[in-house]
Order: sequence, then structure tokens, then C-alpha cells
Amino acid sequence: MELVNPNVNLQAVLPEMIVGLAGILVVLYDAFFPRQRNVTAAISLAGLAAAAVALVSNWSAVPAVSWNGLIASDGLRSSFTLVFLFVTAVTVLISSVWTDREDVPVGEYHALLMFATFGMMFMASGDDFVIIFLGLETLSIATYVLAGLRKNDLKSNESAMKYFILGSFASAFLLYGMALVYGATGTTNITEIALRIADPNFPALLLIGGAMLLIGFGFKVATVPFHVWTPDVYEGAPSPVTGFMAAGPKAAAFASFVRVFVLGFPLVKGVDAAGYLHGTWVTAIAVMAILTMTVGNVAAIVQTNVKRMLAYSSISHAGYALVGLLGAGLVAGDESRDVAIAAVAFYMLTYAVTNLGAFAVVTLLGEKNDRRTEFEDYNGIGFKAPVLSFTLSLFMLSLLGLPLTAGFMGKILVFRPALEAGSPLLTTVVIFAVVNTAISAYYYLRLIVVMFFRDRSTEWTAPKIPASLAVVLVITVAGVFYLGIFSDSFIKNFGGRNTKAAQITSLETTPKQ
Amino acid sequence: MDFVKENLLTILILLPVLGALATLGHVMFWKEEGKLKLIALGFTVVNFLLSLFLVMDPGTPNAAGFIYEQNVPWISAINTNYHVGVDGLSLWLVILATFIMPIAILSTWNAVEKKRTAFYIFLLLLESAMIGVFVSLDLLVFYLFFEASLVPMFFLIGIWGGENRIYSAVKFFIYTALGSLLMLVAIIGLYYLHLDATGIGSFDFVQIMESLKTGNLVLGANTAAVLFFAFALAFSIKVPLFPLHTWLPDAHTDAPTAGSVILAAVLLKMGTYGLLRFNFNLFPEATQEYAYIFIILSVIGIIYGALVAMVQPDIKRLVAYSSVSHMGFVMLGMFSFTEQGMQGAVYQMLNHGVSTGALFLLVGYIYERRHTRQISDFGGIANVMPLYTTIFVITAMSSIGLPFLNGFVGEFMIMVGMWTSTAVAHPWITTMLAGTGVIFAAVYLLWMIQRVFFGKITNDKNKGLADLDLREIGLIAPLVFLMVFMGVYPKPFLDRSKEAVVAIQERVLQRAGGEIPAEDSAKK
Repeated sequence: MELVNPNVNLQAVLPEMIVGLAGILVVLYDAFFPRQRNVTAAISLAGLAAAAVALVSNWSAVPAVSWNGLIASDGLRSSFTLVFLFVTAVTVLISSVWTDREDVPVGEYHALLMFATFGMMFMASGDDFVIIFLGLETLSIATYVLAGLRKNDLKSNESAMKYFILGSFASAFLLYGMALVYGATGTTNITEIALRIADPNFPALLLIGGAMLLIGFGFKVATVPFHVWTPDVYEGAPSPVTGFMAAGPKAAAFASFVRVFVLGFPLVKGVDAAGYLHGTWVTAIAVMAILTMTVGNVAAIVQTNVKRMLAYSSISHAGYALVGLLGAGLVAGDESRDVAIAAVAFYMLTYAVTNLGAFAVVTLLGEKNDRRTEFEDYNGIGFKAPVLSFTLSLFMLSLLGLPLTAGFMGKILVFRPALEAGSPLLTTVVIFAVVNTAISAYYYLRLIVVMFFRDRSTEWTAPKIPASLAVVLVITVAGVFYLGIFSDSFIKNFGGRNTKAAQITSLETTPKQ
Repeated sequence: MDFVKENLLTILILLPVLGALATLGHVMFWKEEGKLKLIALGFTVVNFLLSLFLVMDPGTPNAAGFIYEQNVPWISAINTNYHVGVDGLSLWLVILATFIMPIAILSTWNAVEKKRTAFYIFLLLLESAMIGVFVSLDLLVFYLFFEASLVPMFFLIGIWGGENRIYSAVKFFIYTALGSLLMLVAIIGLYYLHLDATGIGSFDFVQIMESLKTGNLVLGANTAAVLFFAFALAFSIKVPLFPLHTWLPDAHTDAPTAGSVILAAVLLKMGTYGLLRFNFNLFPEATQEYAYIFIILSVIGIIYGALVAMVQPDIKRLVAYSSVSHMGFVMLGMFSFTEQGMQGAVYQMLNHGVSTGALFLLVGYIYERRHTRQISDFGGIANVMPLYTTIFVITAMSSIGLPFLNGFVGEFMIMVGMWTSTAVAHPWITTMLAGTGVIFAAVYLLWMIQRVFFGKITNDKNKGLADLDLREIGLIAPLVFLMVFMGVYPKPFLDRSKEAVVAIQERVLQRAGGEIPAEDSAKK
């Protein structure tokens, strides 16, 4: 094997490096001056902001690869990375309430968040199985620890343990799938794979590998039937961490999911193996999407715990995002595909904004050890804590996808490519999605009903809203309305950059036989 | 003033939102709720006066027949525009909405005791959404307002409602949301059909109409039928058409008086308006083809609603079921595809708004005094409340359709229209059956009046009831005036709506009459 000098391009990974360095800085600072929560939070936030600046300043460039094809700089990466940075920054702000209350080792907490973000960013930027897997593992290990951060709480331990075992299991599937696809195509580079699936060495390996990858990603984004870990893990993990897991790692898994399946396994017209692979994964994901939405929503109806309800809601939202992914996989033409990918990223953003807002309120109302997270604990608090209750209601309506909120725009944008593809299968999926939206109204409204329409029998005083949480609420409420009403230019910039997959087009026009 | 006139519809939509913000601001800074009703009333009255511009100074309609049109790009990524405009069809409905709002707010003068701030905020937001529904000409924007109107109503029923308020509020929300979500899929579907046919995806009603008329966009029979039903389901739930009406009696009964008044007067009209505007115009063939379904269901609704109303022990529930029956008439008129019938339907929408709104208001008056609405708790109250009784009887007569009152004009036109209709094989059967609905209406209303108002006072608690005070008279007086005025002199109303209605009628009939343009039939 010939050795090549790596094509070092530091600028291409500048955002990742900034976040990683900020994480290391937090660890070091914490080692010498422990428990300075404001300082470590400030370092984290500064790192995230700098990374965002580095990312946006490189935004308008045409899609490019660097590091010998390991790192892609394209629309998919930039839009998703922006979502991760946002999620982590908001999580840091939300957590300040909780770290005070629970007396957790705050420096480690912030460091872990930063390293998790570092992993997520590589999941979006990696154009190679190796990088994606490394990113995924970095992320996962950090999140396993985060889930179990409340050492003395049984539920938190259960959560971490379950997440660790099932997560490792999923990683194994993913790795095995990657290995098989490598065996079939002789490369781990996704752009290369897209070129080679037309003429694979071992078509059967490719299919099995694809199936393994599907299972692995299915676990990571929590699609039915690979979702069973989600409710327990989400319920047991500390509230801010749950909010983070539902918004960040899920979006990261979607980024690689899209990269591997939509860009790596495209439909190459006139080629049997590629066509068969494409048709199979589209059908499989369509079935998964329908199941995910339906099971998530129906199960959410019967929950009595708000965090569990939000966990199931997060499952169903993964289903809606899958609709966008399917659309991206099926639409004709590069431009439509990039728009569809941007729509998935946008959906994750709207979900992140809304969900983090909701978790901010849930964290504050949860009190010590998250003990007040049952629906009953929300009885009649509506007019006792009007700011919290009305913002939480707004987030519920946005999760439901009501017009003028971010959730509506997100849904419209992911349903569009699916309907644009014009396939009866996708139309069916969209109709399922819509019926599910109506079903979901029941449990989202239930929280509103409980807060406003019931009376409270026991004494309860509204908690004071700390400054950091007030900032979060302002950001998320403004975000919900901004993305819902004034998102015009935002959507354009989000989808304004092409995604790195140019080679596939040439194949589509001149199929290699 | 020019600024106001140029942006009239936008101002009509945004002013109540400003009012809501003012209400919120007032409470935040002054910490008192006493003046809130004045603020809310002020904003709605100004809004009503501004809406009169639509009648006083209509200007010249543009090519598509709309006045006060505005078209601003909203989200260009999906080519949706903030496109608003008013024509003869929506004009009176907008005014109905702005007219009923001050009345609704005045009706709550003393009734709302808890959480007033939120109450007025939701009422004002509801007004915005209602006006938005009637003026939007972009399908996505229309959907947006259509759906947005649910939230304030949901809160109004849920927080300030009666015993079963939670059940009713949730049922109301989910029922209507389910229907409208399928409409959303149809709207996006239409966008792509337009994209495939013309190269431009569009949510714009006027643009889609243009493409349909010029034959650039041709919907296959099956596609049109699917889209037609997706739209029709959303609207039929809202009307409500039998058998989709079950949310209505619950929502009405449990809503606070102001909520019931608005629900009956305006929200139900969104359904019939939507059918006329979107189903009839966009899918004329499907409308023709499936008209019989709607006619049959309307007739069933008319009779069923009336029969069920007859046996209700609760006055408010009785009025709610009478709404099912009356809205059946509106549907019948629309689907007769005759000018009289359709004009009658549009007129009857207004009549129903005025008289049923008034009935709910009157029920609210007595409820405030006695905190019960059971017919059996009353009896002989005409002895202590003569004025109230008089007004109630006039309103009931208007609802029944007594000549010289507004209900008569509408129902008469609808029945004449139906009689001459070609939409079904034997229209006279339909008309006769529908006619029984009028008789039943007389039965249930008069019987209820007899039990509540006449005879001797059976319940001692009713002996001390006070008659209407000045505020209450002032509130109901404009409605009573309208009942008489609209019954005697319907011309100004009908003249204004005529052009728009005839255009829709022609749109529906032209296609069915075999006058399909040559290039259209060639494409099929």
C-alpha cells in the first residue's frame, strides 16, 4: 500500500478544533480551580460561539473535501453543525440551574458536553466511515457519562447503564455494517462508495451491510423498532441532559444517516445492484418512519410522566424527520436533494429550539432530583406561574406543529420533498405523518389542559426564574416565532449551499454497466 | 389615511394583536385588570369601524374581483405569499366578525371573574385569526389562520367553560385539527401539481385559479376527487355537516357566552366559506359530481338537528343543535348551484350569525342571573322579565324564519333555489324535506319558549329576576335591529355579494354544462 501524506487543511476542521480545545481548556481549568461553574460555562460558551463564527465565515464556499476525502465541507455539514452548536450552548445555559441544585461536578459536566459536541461535529463533517464512527464513539462515550451524572440516583444509574449497553450494541451493528460495505466496495469513503455501488464486488455484502447500518442508525436516532431504550434513558437522565440528548445526538445521528444513505447509497439508474439497494432502504425506512411515528405517538398518549411523554414525542419526531430523509433520497435532481437535506437539518433545528425550551421549563419545575415531573405535578400551575406555563404551552403547540410556530415550518419543509418525489409510498407516509400529528395533539394539549384547565389542590409556589434560564426562554420563544414566521432568508441560507455529492450526478446520466 | 386604506386588511388582522399586547402591557405595568375590558372594547370597536371601509369605499375590484388586495412575498423558499383580498363573498363575513367582537366583549362585562387578562387576550387573538381566514388568498396562509383560530378558542372553552370544559375543548381541537391537517396535505399536493404543470409551484389561490381557467393546470378526475374530499372534510367538520357535528353541541354548551357567540356567529362560517371559496372554485367538476352527498347529508342534518334540539333539556344545547339544523340549510343552498340558492346561502350565513349569536347572548343573560340553563328550572319568567321575553321571542322568530325577519329571506331563497336546482334528480323532494326543518324549528323554539317564559312562575327562585339592564339592551339592540333590517331590506347585502356568488356558480356549472374548452378535453 502506498503511503500518502495527509492533505492537512486546518481551516476545514477549525470549528471542531475550537470546540475540542475549549473542552480541554475546561478540563484543565477545572483541575486547578474546581467548581467554578460560571467560568467553565463561559469558556464553553465562548468556544461554541467561536466555532460558530468559524463555521459561518466559511459558509458560502462551494462544497469541498480535505484531509484526503475524510472531511467534507458542504451544506449538510454546516447546517447540522450549526444545530449542534446551538443545542450545546442552550444546554449549558439550562444546566446552570441544575448544577447548582444538584451539586454535580460542574467542570466535568461542561467538558463532557464539549467533547460530545466535538463528536457530533465530526459525525456531520466526516465523509468517511472511519471519521463518522470516531465521531459517534466520542459522542456516545461522553453521553453515557452524562446520563449517569447523578451518581446517587438509581434511575440515573439505570439510564446510563441501559444507554451504555444498548448504545454499544448499536455501535457494533454500525461497525459491522461499515465493514461489510467496505468489503463490498473496497472503500470507506462515502463519495467513493456512491460511485462504486453501481458495480460492487459482492452485491450481497452490500445489502447486508446496508441493513446493518440501518439498524445501527435506527438505534441512534431511536426509530421503532430500535427505540426501546429511549424512554427509560430519557426519563432517568437529568432533565437538561435529556433535552440535550433528544436534540443534539439525535440530530448528529441524522446527519450521518443522511450522509451514508442519501449520499452514499443513491439510486443509480439502470444499475441493478444500486437500484435494488436504493429501493430496499427506501422501503425499509418508509416502514420504519410509519412505525416510528405511530408507536411514538400512541405510546406518548398513555404516559403519566412529562419527561417520558417528551421521550416518546422525540421518537415520533424522529419519524417526521425520516419523512424528510426519504424525500431527500427519492427526489430527482441534485438541487431538490440538497433542499430536502437542508429541510431535515432545519427540522432538527426547529425541534431543538422547541424541545430545549420545553426541557428548560421542565428542569426548573422538576426541583431537586427531578422529582416533580409527573403530569400531576403540573396540575393547575397555569396562572400561578404564567410565564413558565405559557412558554411551555407555546413549545407544546410548536411540537404539535401549529402554524406560526417553528414546528409548523419544519413539518412543511420535510413533507414537501416527500410529496415532491411523487411516489405513492411517500405520499402514504406523509398521510400517516399527518394523521399522527392529529393524534399527537392529544398529549401535547394534555399538558396544557393539566396546567390551565385543572385546579391545584395542594400548595405550590412558583419557582423564581434565574437569569440564565430567562435567557434560554427568551432565545427559544423568539426562535419558535422567528423560525415560524420570519424564516424566509434563514431557510434560503440553510439550503443555499450544495452538498458534497457531485460525482453521483455524472453516474446518473451515464450509467456504468 | 392613505396608509390605512392601502394596508386595510393587514391592519384589520394586526390591530387585535396589538390590542392583545396592549392588554398584556397594561397588566404588567399597572397590575390591575379593571380597565382591560375598556382596552379590548376600544380595539374591537376601532377594528369594526375600520372594516366599514370595505363597504363605504370599496374601490374598483381588480381582474380577479378582489378589493383591498395586498400581495407580499412571505417565505420565498416555498413560494408562499402573504396575499390578502376581499370580494363580495368574504366582505360581509369580515364585517360580521368585526361586528360581533365588541358585542362578545361587552357580553362578558361582568361575567368573567377569573383571569381576565388572558380572557381578553385570547378573544382578541381569535378576532385576528378569524379575519385572517376570510381574507387570505394564499392557501398556506389560509390554512395558517384556519388552524390558528383553534388555539384561542381551545383556551376560551377550557379555562372559562362549563362543567365538561376539558372534554369539550380537547374534542373541539382534535376534531377540527384532524380535518384541517388532511387539507394541508391537499394544499401541498396542489402546489406540486401546479409545479408539474406550469413549472412554478404555487399556493396562491388566484394564480392556481388562473392556471385552472386557462387550462395550464388540468386535474385528473381522480386527483380532483381526492383533493376535493380532503378540503371538504376540513370544512364539513367546521360547518358542521352531519355526521361530523358531534363536537359542536359539546363545544357550544361548555363555552363561555362570548365564546359561544363567536363560535356560532363566525367560526362555523369558516366551513361554508371555505367550501364556497376553495372547493367550488378549485374543483368544480368534483363539486358537481359529489354534490348529492352533501345535499343528502345536509337534509339529514336539518331534520336530525331539529329533532334532537326538540328534546334537549338545556336551552344552550338546544340552540347548539338548532345550529346544526340551520347550517344544513346553508349547505343546501350552496349545493343547489342556483343563483337564488347560493345567494340565499351566503345571506343565511349572516342571518345565522346574527340570530344564533343573539340567542346565545340571551341564554347567557339568563345564565348569569340564575346559573342554570335547564328548561325545567324556569317557567313563567315572562311575568318578571317582559322585555327579555319580547326580545327572546323576536330572536326566536328570526331563527325560525318568520317573514319580515332576516331568517325568512335566507331560507326562502335557499328553498326556491333548491326547488329549481339541477344538482339532484328530484329537487322537490329535498326541498320538501328541508322545509320540514323550518316547521320543526318552530316546534322546538316555540315549545321551549312556552316552557321557559309563559304560564305561572313555578320556581320561587325566578320571582326576583331582574329584567334587562341598559348594557344588556344596548348589546342586543343592534342585533335585533339587524334582524328586522335584513328581513325587510336585504338588497344592499345581496347586491354586494351577487357578483362573487354568480362567478362561483358559473365556475361550477360551466364545466358540467359541457362547455369544457377544447384543449382541456383534448388533454384528458
